[in-house]
Amino acid sequence: MSEPLVLELQVKPLDFLAAGETATQFKETLKSLGLAPEICRRAAVVVYEAEMNIVIHGGGGVMRLQVEEDKVTIMAEDEGPGIENLELAMQEGYSSAPDYIREMGFGAGMGLPNIKRNSDELYIDTAPGKGTKLRAVIYLNKGR
Amino acid sequence: MAHGVKIMEPSCRGCVNCIKSCPTEAMRVIEGKVRILSEICIACGECIRRCPHRALLLEEDEWDYVLSKRPMVVVTDPSFCAQFSWPPVPELTAQALFELGFEPIFDEYEAAYDVTALAEARAICSLPDTAKPLISTYCPAVVRLIQIKFHELIPHLVPVESPLETSIDLWRARTRRRDPVTLVSSCPARIAMVRSPVGRDISSAEFAISTSKLAREVLIGSGDPSKKVTINLPLQAPRWVVWAKTGGESMHVRNFSSRPIKTLEVDGLRNVINLFQEMELGKLKGIDYVEARACDLGCIGGIGNAESRFLSRIKIDNIKVSFDMNEGYQNKLESIYEAKIWSLRECIVPIEQMPLGEDLARAMERLKQLHAVYAELPHLDCGTCGRPSCRVMAEDIIRGEGSPDDCIFRLKERIADLSKEIYELSKRLVHTMTSEGKS
Repeated sequence: MSEPLVLELQVKPLDFLAAGETATQFKETLKSLGLAPEICRRAAVVVYEAEMNIVIHGGGGVMRLQVEEDKVTIMAEDEGPGIENLELAMQEGYSSAPDYIREMGFGAGMGLPNIKRNSDELYIDTAPGKGTKLRAVIYLNKGR
Repeated sequence: MAHGVKIMEPSCRGCVNCIKSCPTEAMRVIEGKVRILSEICIACGECIRRCPHRALLLEEDEWDYVLSKRPMVVVTDPSFCAQFSWPPVPELTAQALFELGFEPIFDEYEAAYDVTALAEARAICSLPDTAKPLISTYCPAVVRLIQIKFHELIPHLVPVESPLETSIDLWRARTRRRDPVTLVSSCPARIAMVRSPVGRDISSAEFAISTSKLAREVLIGSGDPSKKVTINLPLQAPRWVVWAKTGGESMHVRNFSSRPIKTLEVDGLRNVINLFQEMELGKLKGIDYVEARACDLGCIGGIGNAESRFLSRIKIDNIKVSFDMNEGYQNKLESIYEAKIWSLRECIVPIEQMPLGEDLARAMERLKQLHAVYAELPHLDCGTCGRPSCRVMAEDIIRGEGSPDDCIFRLKERIADLSKEIYELSKRLVHTMTSEGKS
């Protein structure tokens, strides 16, 4: 097996425009590798939602895309306030985003559920005050 | 694949303005002359707009040759009606064309555009929300953009034929005439549509010329038809005329839909691309239909027009259209709908890009090489290497179509290194000579 390919990008807090750009850029990379459109689509959605979470809640952080021969892994890390009740946050429509963010049309409470729906494995390491580490895995040869 | 753009080599100075305007990075400058990678060109005409030396033109048929074909049956884009000093009413434009010996088939447009709008409205209403929004196939540059860059959106393209093609089919069916038909186009994409159609094997039109060519003929050859007839105010025009500007198609589709639908209109390639990127991320929930046009303000903004797009829009905004139809016409429309004449005969398929390698392992290796090559480039995207960006340059290099020395900055560095070496070498020589001289 060859060395995994890793792309890394810094995320600035409250930079809403950049989130779409990162997702597009990561997706273009996956497309250029010849991966199936469905894989690219799911990865882009996960990247977009995870980055949005960093932008809205995390106060900036790092996004990483790792490609191996059998899987794509998306990692998002921030040193923000952490998620208080993960079970609640995984529910559709639940959002802790402040009003000014909701007024911009974001924070609909679909972020984490969307990530879960589009990934094969999802690990979240978080606690209040110690930031959030998210790792989502999409397998390349797994029939869904 | 024909792309509707002609390169006038003697006029091309290799200035790289055009290659930087291309939305699919389909242009290169090689040995001082521009080249188009036709397999990824969407025929939008942005390069023609940008060329300061008039080295890029519409690839239209020879005007004199087309003119020699009589009768000359013409199918003009609706935007053609807005090219003149008189109001954009087809009757007036038709009169001017007839006077010059051309034969417009405007009479077929009403049924053709109506059945198109009806088919689109019914397609929207028959689909579940998950399959929406549907995307209009009216702009051929947008269709090709999706085929090349937005494969996930292909199932969203509404499988409805261009009403201009449908008009020709209706005309042939009604008149049983076999005379050649000339499509009059305001953009390279529609010219490409005649040469290599998408969704059908062969176009119903035989020739393609630009709006500006025919408009010029009318401007110098005919009097103002509006002086010969009385024009009633407010100005009335058929429904299809509004398709010339962005929003016209959506209005038609909304009016023909059996239930309220939400449409979104977007024009100009930058906006279209941004919207499609957002759509791929699943951000357009709740929208039923997207009308996307490559040109600013819609077809009146096409590069092949004679009139200013701003004035064209004012003219079209000033006309009134009605969506009332009598029962007899409604029945006729229904029978044309049933005949499926509006339907695309072939599926729209993605145009696959070559991945970086044959399998994932090799593609990943190549991508790492690409990143390494890219890291050595100056990231100024100056275009001097003949490619639109350093990123494209790196891609070309690892595909074996270029060398890092094509980069003027890299070359400069190498010359600097070399001259330093020569300098040091020369000092050493002098030193030897003096020591020899002393001994």
